Amino acid sequence: MSQDVVLSVKNLSVVFHTPDGDVVAVNDVSFDLRRGETLGIVGESGSGKSVTASSILRLNNSNTATTTGSIVVSGVDVLTAQDSEVRRIRGSEVAMIFQDPLSALNPYYTVGKQIAEAYLVHHPRASKADARGVTLDMLKKVGIPSPEKRIDEFPHQFSGGMRQRIVIAIALINNPKVLIADEPTTALDVTVQAQILDLMKNLQSEFNMAIVLITHDLGVIAETALDVLVMYGGRIVEKSTVEALFSEPTHPYAWGLLGAVTSLGTSDRGELVAITGSPPSLISLPAGCSFNPRCSYALEICSAQVPLLRSVGTQGSVTACHLPKDEILTFGRKAASR
Amino acid sequence: MKQRRIIAAVGFALVASVVAAACGGSSGDGSEDGTPTKGGTIHILSNGEQIAHLDPQRNYTGDDLAFAGSTMHRTLTSYAYAQGDEGSGIVPDLATDTGTFNDDATVWSFTLRDGGTFEDGAEITCADVAYGVSRTWASDVITDGPTYASSYIDAGDYPGPYKATAEQQAAYDKAVSCEGKTITFNLKVPVADFNYTTTLLAFSPVPKAADTGEKYDLKPVSSGPYKIESYTIGKSLVLVRNENWSQDSDPVRSANPDSFVYEFGLDEAVMDERMIKDAGDDQFAVSAGIQPENLPTIFDDDAFKDRRVDEYDPFVTYTNLNVKNLSCVEVRKAIYLALDREALRKAGGGPYTGDFADGFIKPALALDYKKSTMPDGLNVDGTANVEAAQAAMTAAETACPEVATRAKDGLSFYRPATPVWDKAVAIWIDSLGKVGIKLKDEPVEPSVYWPTVMNPETNYDIARGGWAPDWANASTVIPELFTTSGGFNLTRNADDPDYAEFQTKVDAAKKELDRAKQGVMWQELNQYVVDRLWALPGTFTKVQAIWGSKVGNAYQWAPFGAFNYGDLYVKS
Amino acid sequence: MFMFIVRRVFFALVLLLAVSFFTYMLFAMLPSDPAALTCGKNCKPDVIAANRIRLGYDKSLMEQYWLFLKGIFAGRDYGAGAAAFSCGAPSLGYSFGQHECVTTLIAQTFPVTAYLSIGAFVLWMLIGISTGAMAALHKGKWQDRAASIFTSIGVSLPTFYIGLLVLFSVVIWLGILPFPSYESPFENFSTFLRTMILPWLVLAVLSAASYTRLTRNGMLEAMNEDFVRLGVAKGLTTRIVLRRYVMRQALVPIVTIAGLDFAGLLGGAIITESVFSLPGMGKMSIRAVVESDLPVLVGTTMVAAVFIVSANVLVDIAYGYLDPRVRVK
Repeated sequence: MSQDVVLSVKNLSVVFHTPDGDVVAVNDVSFDLRRGETLGIVGESGSGKSVTASSILRLNNSNTATTTGSIVVSGVDVLTAQDSEVRRIRGSEVAMIFQDPLSALNPYYTVGKQIAEAYLVHHPRASKADARGVTLDMLKKVGIPSPEKRIDEFPHQFSGGMRQRIVIAIALINNPKVLIADEPTTALDVTVQAQILDLMKNLQSEFNMAIVLITHDLGVIAETALDVLVMYGGRIVEKSTVEALFSEPTHPYAWGLLGAVTSLGTSDRGELVAITGSPPSLISLPAGCSFNPRCSYALEICSAQVPLLRSVGTQGSVTACHLPKDEILTFGRKAASR
Repeated sequence: MKQRRIIAAVGFALVASVVAAACGGSSGDGSEDGTPTKGGTIHILSNGEQIAHLDPQRNYTGDDLAFAGSTMHRTLTSYAYAQGDEGSGIVPDLATDTGTFNDDATVWSFTLRDGGTFEDGAEITCADVAYGVSRTWASDVITDGPTYASSYIDAGDYPGPYKATAEQQAAYDKAVSCEGKTITFNLKVPVADFNYTTTLLAFSPVPKAADTGEKYDLKPVSSGPYKIESYTIGKSLVLVRNENWSQDSDPVRSANPDSFVYEFGLDEAVMDERMIKDAGDDQFAVSAGIQPENLPTIFDDDAFKDRRVDEYDPFVTYTNLNVKNLSCVEVRKAIYLALDREALRKAGGGPYTGDFADGFIKPALALDYKKSTMPDGLNVDGTANVEAAQAAMTAAETACPEVATRAKDGLSFYRPATPVWDKAVAIWIDSLGKVGIKLKDEPVEPSVYWPTVMNPETNYDIARGGWAPDWANASTVIPELFTTSGGFNLTRNADDPDYAEFQTKVDAAKKELDRAKQGVMWQELNQYVVDRLWALPGTFTKVQAIWGSKVGNAYQWAPFGAFNYGDLYVKS
Repeated sequence: MFMFIVRRVFFALVLLLAVSFFTYMLFAMLPSDPAALTCGKNCKPDVIAANRIRLGYDKSLMEQYWLFLKGIFAGRDYGAGAAAFSCGAPSLGYSFGQHECVTTLIAQTFPVTAYLSIGAFVLWMLIGISTGAMAALHKGKWQDRAASIFTSIGVSLPTFYIGLLVLFSVVIWLGILPFPSYESPFENFSTFLRTMILPWLVLAVLSAASYTRLTRNGMLEAMNEDFVRLGVAKGLTTRIVLRRYVMRQALVPIVTIAGLDFAGLLGGAIITESVFSLPGMGKMSIRAVVESDLPVLVGTTMVAAVFIVSANVLVDIAYGYLDPRVRVK
């Protein structure tokens, strides 16, 4: 593992045990994340992107889910480590922000208390006054106006965007190496989304942290990420740089995604309407390539055999598709130029 | 228990029922008693929340009269503290004898004994007795009690001691006069058995200075061997010895235990279980009224034979027929013959509820009771005789077609709206339907049942009734139930062609000073009513009671159908 | 907040006034006639009429109600001449059945009900919340199933039945405890405890059942909240997450319902008091129903109403403290 790899995920699989049977939510996912880098994970709901994210902090309920593979943070495999070790990593090495800032904050405590709590749990020797000072600084950093006053207010007294700033403050208070942002802007107003993304970018360089940005919004990816994973049916179907994804997408699903983006570079929310059909049910995934029932290029082999990731194209992209390389490139460039 | 509750609610006083082994009324085993010993505490378990009235002038229910009379309130005369027939005899209590009277029994005098005292040590004077009796006139304060004093004694418009003017009080003091230790009652009418009337606690002394009117009920002053230590309604009444009472002045009461604890508000099922279990203090407990489901447990098992009793109480149940509407004896007979009394008794709890009555006077009134000749065709086992009833109806159709038609069209049947009566009325309708008599069920809210049927405006055809004599003389039965001036005549028999003759005979019996002769007259009058079926005899009811293994003298005191509490003792 | 409380208290008083009116009218219109009930053997129309005057039911309903209301503030006089007496303010009337002012009767019986309620309440909250929490933490395991059996038994069995069963088995058959005979804790504390332990337990266990369910469901619901996940993601220990995040949320509805349940209990635990022969307000109410003792019935109902209405106000205020989102500025 290279020195500046801060997060290394290998062969991650998550199986949920439900009364209707086992569900493979994440299937053989691997990726590395380097310091200061941003990795985007794109996909529809049910694609396994959020489960991948929560696995990194071992947030899946061990009673109902089996997680295999390895997730190494600072030399520790989160999946096999002691509970106390995982608790140390949570918040201090790897922090997380959630999709809905309305529900992510504890409504019963002041925001100051919730930020300070995150600080104190990893700085047990710090006094409450210290924690309050650090909290105030952090509130300033995330752009909360008049923090001295607002530190003692409750979450419901803040707007959605302000709340997400507070969630970010909680996440960054311990200067983590990795920030996992699960749809951080989805629940926000369009105008606020850009502000939050800007804030995240600024803080990322200030704290020199890596970000895993989970979204279904290619617009968000385009603005922030360096590398992108496209997930479908629990698997990675394409792994590429952002540039490559937008200029030479290599998976029919990505082509569809691109078609759904109305205008790149803006913060407009991209809806995935261009792909016909609906996301597959994880409980009864189609045989072969999970995407084949919705794929207009599908071959016979697609319903028989799961395609493996392979290098395709000119920009180092990796894709899981049975189509011949040249066809992939032709169709991909066409999709990108639409 | 249910039946006892109804009795209590109706509020009738009870007197005089003899254990009557001779009459076959008793299946109780009684207790084998050794020599009573002094000391200990007797417990009384009760489902009720309180003693209805501890105020002597307001106390008018059998069990409470037996309890308060034998422990706290002395009267001029008292029933003997004895088991069986003997218990119905009267003996002097506060008085030196059972009273003296003039030729026509309109002036009665009693002389007080020496040494009778209240709980504070003050001597009981003639004035205290006169004052106590005077309270019964204050009907706006002293409620629920018997009104014999005010209806017998000639005191003009006396309103009771609280509101009386000096003149009114003077009139009372003349009617009830004191001369030294002798109290004299001047009556409006001859009352041959006035010395039985004086057994009622209404004739107990009350010290005027201690009278708190309405509130006297909570803390009456004791003249007997026990006084109240504490009384909490819903919890308990504790009686302890009255140190100022002396045995010398009270030849009646034995005063064996040191104290009584009356426990209120117990669940009925719990009471029975405690008595069956007979553990701890419950060995010193008595409990009257047993849940029907527990009767077999207690009466089929010889283990209980020394601490249970199943005996007549003073009550008779019967059914009033509105003689004005049903002015034809054939129809009344048809109703009685058709009625399945056995089914009714079974529905009410079987033989433990009582025996089929042959009239309105119970065998306990030994002088006044003679087995009646019942109507021809009436089945002695209580079952219906449909053929005989049908024949009576056929006879009625020629004798009195209008009344027969009324019966076929439907007779109104008034009864309290209770589950027990819901069951009973179904049997009535079914029985009478077999001879073509229809009934219209008229359930009445239980608390207003009596006022409803006693209201002359209520035009019922059939209405239930129940009665116990106020003292051991059928003078408190036949005239009360069947004369127009009676307190509880629901038969509306004034227009019956035989009524005038009946009234004359009753008047004669009331005036008869020879008690034996008077008894024969009551027997004849009882038969007179049975022959005419103004009312249909129902049952001579019974009471079941149980007591702990260490309780002695736990007999049922005949006049009250209750334990003689004052005679109980704790076995050593 | 102050104005909010003032407003709530004002409305509570108006509500109580309305309750007192309807309670009075409702009981006065019951078919049973208190004047007829005690007239016994002399039940002739004139005796009933005299009795009605004595009890005060000869007056018009509105006048009776006015006298009742006035009595609360000014006390009330009864009787005339040498037999006159009065019930001082606040007078809820006079019980001619118990020969005592209703206020005095309530003052005598209420402590019993209060001791019963407080003891049972503390026990049932402990039992209910701990079993509920256990079930939630072991969802789907045997602990959860045991709690669910406990819940369904608890909510379906009548107090009356369980009370008698416990009384029979513990006191009568096994003889472990003496038969309940209430004594004030200040007079005889050990008797008090021995008397109260069974009713406390019976009431607590049966009432705890619904709190078990409430706690379990509330906690499971809270565990799915994003903010709980964020708490875990912060690196907090399980215990802190449970306390500050899960329980904190689950407690809000529990406190609300518990407040009202407790107030209801203070109005008289009728069945429990009857089964265990506790001379409390509930038992007195039953007696009053049986004997048509309307003043006692109106009095106890009013006291119960005061508790329930005050509990509503207190719960509303407490709710503001428990959940900052509904706090009124």
